[in-house]
Amino acid sequence: MADRRRINGPPAGTRPPVYASLKESKTGVSERTLRQRQPTELRKFYLKTGMIPTASGSSYLEFAPSAALAAARSNPKSLIPPSSALKVACTVHGPKPLPRSVPFSPNLLLTTHVKFAPFAARKRKGHVRDTTERDLGVHLETALRGAIIAERWPKSGLDITLTIVEAEDDRWWGDAPDSHDASWGMLNVLAGCITAASAAIADAHIDCLDLVSGGVAALVSDDASTAPRLVLDVDPAEHRSIQSACVVAYMPARDEITELWLKGDSSRAALEKSDGRTGHEALIDGAVDAARGANTILTDAVRESIARSFAQV
Amino acid sequence: MSNQRQASSASQVPHLSPAELSYLYTSLSLPKNPIRPDGRSPTQFRPLSAETNILPGTNGSARIGFADGTQAIVGVKASVEKTILAADTLDSRSLAQHGDALNREGEEGSAAVSGQGEWVQMSIEIPGYRDDDALPVFLGEMMRESLVGSVAGGSEEVKEMAGGLKGRLVINKRWHWRLYIDVLLLSQPLAYPLPLLSLTTHLALLSTKLPKLKSTGEEDPFFDDDWAVAEYLYPRSNKQSSPSDAPTYPVRPPVTLLVIAVGENVIFDPNREEIAVADAVLAISITRSSDSENMKLLSIRSIDPPSRLTQPGIPNSENVNMLGGPPASSNQSGGQEEVGGVWRPRRGGVQRSVITRMIKTVLQKGGVGEEVIQGLEGVKVE
Amino acid sequence: MASSATTGNPMPPSLSMPPSQFARLQPHAYLRAHLSPPSSDQPSVRANGRATSQFRVTSVNTGSLTHANGSAVVRIGDTTAVCGVRAELLHTSDISSWGVSQAPSKQNPTNTNEAKDSKSEDEDDQGQIQDLNLLVPNLSLSTGCAPGLTPGAPPSALAQSLSHQILSLLHTTNLVRADDLRIWYQPPNFDSEEFHNPGEGMEVDTEQSGGPEREIKAFWVLYIDIMILSMAGNAFDAAWASVLAALRDTKLPNAWWDDDNETILCSDDFAEAHRLTLRGLPIASSFCCFEGDAAAGWRANVIPDAEEQKKKKGSQQKWILADPDGYEEGLTQERACVVVDKENGKTIIVKMEKHGGWNVDSDDLRKLVDVSSQRWDDLKQALEQC
Repeated sequence: MADRRRINGPPAGTRPPVYASLKESKTGVSERTLRQRQPTELRKFYLKTGMIPTASGSSYLEFAPSAALAAARSNPKSLIPPSSALKVACTVHGPKPLPRSVPFSPNLLLTTHVKFAPFAARKRKGHVRDTTERDLGVHLETALRGAIIAERWPKSGLDITLTIVEAEDDRWWGDAPDSHDASWGMLNVLAGCITAASAAIADAHIDCLDLVSGGVAALVSDDASTAPRLVLDVDPAEHRSIQSACVVAYMPARDEITELWLKGDSSRAALEKSDGRTGHEALIDGAVDAARGANTILTDAVRESIARSFAQV
Repeated sequence: MSNQRQASSASQVPHLSPAELSYLYTSLSLPKNPIRPDGRSPTQFRPLSAETNILPGTNGSARIGFADGTQAIVGVKASVEKTILAADTLDSRSLAQHGDALNREGEEGSAAVSGQGEWVQMSIEIPGYRDDDALPVFLGEMMRESLVGSVAGGSEEVKEMAGGLKGRLVINKRWHWRLYIDVLLLSQPLAYPLPLLSLTTHLALLSTKLPKLKSTGEEDPFFDDDWAVAEYLYPRSNKQSSPSDAPTYPVRPPVTLLVIAVGENVIFDPNREEIAVADAVLAISITRSSDSENMKLLSIRSIDPPSRLTQPGIPNSENVNMLGGPPASSNQSGGQEEVGGVWRPRRGGVQRSVITRMIKTVLQKGGVGEEVIQGLEGVKVE
Repeated sequence: MASSATTGNPMPPSLSMPPSQFARLQPHAYLRAHLSPPSSDQPSVRANGRATSQFRVTSVNTGSLTHANGSAVVRIGDTTAVCGVRAELLHTSDISSWGVSQAPSKQNPTNTNEAKDSKSEDEDDQGQIQDLNLLVPNLSLSTGCAPGLTPGAPPSALAQSLSHQILSLLHTTNLVRADDLRIWYQPPNFDSEEFHNPGEGMEVDTEQSGGPEREIKAFWVLYIDIMILSMAGNAFDAAWASVLAALRDTKLPNAWWDDDNETILCSDDFAEAHRLTLRGLPIASSFCCFEGDAAAGWRANVIPDAEEQKKKKGSQQKWILADPDGYEEGLTQERACVVVDKENGKTIIVKMEKHGGWNVDSDDLRKLVDVSSQRWDDLKQALEQC
């Protein structure tokens, strides 16, 4: 059924372009670029607050493009991007009074809203939120609610909106989905959303217990013979297969996790003999380490936000 | 669209007074020996009644009712669908592979086509919620994720399940089954409905039959119309000693358990009141590992504990009525310190050690996970 | 709120509260106080420190999105618009009316191309793009860009109206050439061998001379999605500028009909991809008219001699403000939008729109065209720098 409130394309629908054989192509992009970083080395990202002055708080997060993507940008050969880099804009509106229809709440009520731009991923997204976007919204709400001191604003609401301008890939684009396939990119998106939202909430001067940041760790197997190994801040496009991955929202000052989302089979992790941990414990610890790393950048961004608001006063 | 609807747990907040919450929390967090309102032990589940194959129009169905009157019905329908290559991997290599598959018609042992997670569709209906509200969407994604995510290890006896459920749905390179799992909660949820829905889905999938394929290889599929020879979606082992024994399943669908932590205690299958005072709520999906007897972890999701949204209690020192005058400290938000017996909404997250303990209670040998799976194995699925 | 920039300006001595509070409590009086020059020879300065015909600083950045064929980020002051263009294929076999309606017109461009002047070719272009919906612009405001707009709700009236304005402007300016969007196919000439066969030669000869006709197998459909990330007034100018910059950035892969697979295949080679050749560079400039006396228009109709009384007082009653910010937009009713293009130094008015009041007269509109043509020079520079 056509949506009358939007401009619809051709009624018969359109098809995404199909690229001709890459084996014959001269562009040589049919090779996957493998991870160059150390297993514990995180990607750099850029985080800035206060970019959207109409909101009470706002932030913009952008991952540094991978080496392959940077090379493809500066010297384009192929039209197929090798990987993508997360870009998230977050706005916070409120605290504002709840509408009359809502029953009394002694706490600040959060509304989280995650929406992908239609051009965010390889496959064009629709304008109406789908289940993954709603699901991400619930995860994000859980992550943030643990950090906010909600009882200081009774009868109030806080709207948190995240626009994903560019998402992460679920796998390398040339791979057919295999049996371990899942939407791994969503975990990275969630981690980015948590960090960005945390900065925006701080920018809106909402009291929090601590700055909560997101981190991802994964068990990846680059060839079938070896057992999967643990890497932090995984880029799914750089690995042949991801066995298991985990995202946490973590508050370093209290050493507490407000959100945990782990999926996949973590039982066959390659850990050192002396390491008494099981696969999922190692995975959670890895994700916490990644979140700690993200927290340093988050702290800098929030410090900048505070300095700016003092300069205005 | 009210804000309340958005919140996954807000709708679950029972109307308990701060005093009641405080009492519950204290009794549930008693070291080593929590006292639950209904007298269960921490790992004990509520009694339930189950039956399968109740809907003749479906491929498989089940109903589970808890003693408190909440019931869920799950129906599984399957339909044959033409396989479309995922749009984002389309290049002519996959076209070529696709073409090869067509040419090599009838050739056995060609590389197995792996299934796609999208072939399993799940819809959850909960009274009082729209199907795009946060709670049904979250529950549906949680259960679907572990269903399609469980991949059996390479044991030979379950060749059909090698690629997990989604691998089972592959008919040949061009055709596959699409599974529609419709979950209906028949009454207003009295507790977080996850355990009920998960167990019912588990039984419904076990009872699901797919018609026997008569065509071979890469032909367009056609099926035997004799329902008696239909194959189970989750294959059963033939080694039955006597017909009265429950059949054994080499591979079983996953089960999602709801676990809460209150203080130092880990409590299973919480009811509405217990979950309201939980420090942490986890949904842990497990299945029996096919190559060993151990439990295997499939996914964990944390759920927003409703205790974060409860009303705080006011200690006597700040209560106007008790003092007969204005409170000594008028700074309401300043009441940070915990006063014994006075309820404070939970703040913050969980320690890693707590999470580890919760998972361990589920997974360890002889633990709750094994107990639940064994209990389900006792249910005879017709 | 655009209040922080105002602290340096002189304030009437009666004011005893901070300017930011005055701006919120008495916005109309506040803006009028700013615009009324202390003496008649001084120019009016707006509350945000700009002159009346001054636009905000505009920056354009293109090509930063990985998954779009063309993309642009345009910031006009605090208003930010992100536009991504995605190209997908519409096979002519999917168009239900293709065989019926296009069969006669299909031959026109090939057979009588030379005979036609460029103008009628434009019309043909226009028809195909419009009839087949080849350009699909959608603007989204549900990004939390402004406090009043609830995310998740269906597009607001403002978003719908902006989407349609962009669509109609794309159609009326003929910005995109239909020929850039067509994918042609020349079927191989199987008849050529048979041509030498004397038995069947006669029939073939009467039918065709040059083998089978070249035919259109597919069209590119451009999905133009605009997300307003930050809304601080004048969303249309920012949205249109982002569409323009993204279309200038758009590269379409080289595509051909593959007879074996019976589908369209594309080359991923960057060198083979072609950019769109746009017609002209239409640039939009929006204005609003601030009335010194909010009820002036109304009074002129109801009280006949009100105008003369005002004239005796001699104070200026209206200010036309270029590129209004959110604060100014909230205080004005009358809007004007001028879209101009320049060809060989000559200004062409592509579109002119004015609604919401009586104050802007023909002289003012003439001045606005001049301002807009200056704006064209500035924005062209910004677009070409990126």
